[in-house]
Amino acid sequence: MIVDLALGCIVLAAALAVYRVLRGPSWGDRVTALDFLSVDLAVLIVVLAMRTGIARFLDVALIFSILGFLSTVALTRYLLNGRVMR
Amino acid sequence: MRHLALLLVAQAVALAVEERVPSQAAAVQVSVLAQILILFGSLFILSAALGLIRFPDFYTRLHASTKLVALGGLGIFGGAALAFAPMGANARVLVIASFFFLTAPLSGYMIARAGYLRGLRPYREETSVDDWGLMGGFPEASSEESA
Repeated sequence: MIVDLALGCIVLAAALAVYRVLRGPSWGDRVTALDFLSVDLAVLIVVLAMRTGIARFLDVALIFSILGFLSTVALTRYLLNGRVMR
Repeated sequence: MRHLALLLVAQAVALAVEERVPSQAAAVQVSVLAQILILFGSLFILSAALGLIRFPDFYTRLHASTKLVALGGLGIFGGAALAFAPMGANARVLVIASFFFLTAPLSGYMIARAGYLRGLRPYREETSVDDWGLMGGFPEASSEESA
């Protein structure tokens, strides 16, 4: 029950962040909301692993958090320098 | 053709309903302490999203999202580590948590730095203090030194 409530809270938070991604006035708001979404997805998969009892989902959450961090770094580097790598 | 598609959809729905896990509390036994931690974390994540919606400019939104998500992740990952302890999978949860706490402040720092150097303004100029600008490093001039 608590796990279902947490699942609902996290999905609601993701929906609010999607609103900010779509509507954000500047690009910084969009990058912030995308970073929040990546972290939120990793947390969502951890809660889903608790809900379903499949411990293999934890590996998926680890990969998601790594990919989210790398995408945030790439996006900020691109917006700052105009290129991702030199 | 339409009937075939409808039939396929009906089959998929029937399969999904049949295979659905009957509504039980959680497949992993979650103790009371872990439940309290998970509730704490999920409420903090929800309030981070509320801050992302309601705050007026980029810097305050970044503040809400980054810091509250770090606090919420503390709760969620702590609760998950406690809940997965009987299955022997809590080391993986701790790996995820340590990686998360290494990278969450770093990504927030990089977003704030990119926003500052590209010249995003706070919503009230008269209440903001621009220390970097006062030291002489004007934003547009120093945007190339990070590569």
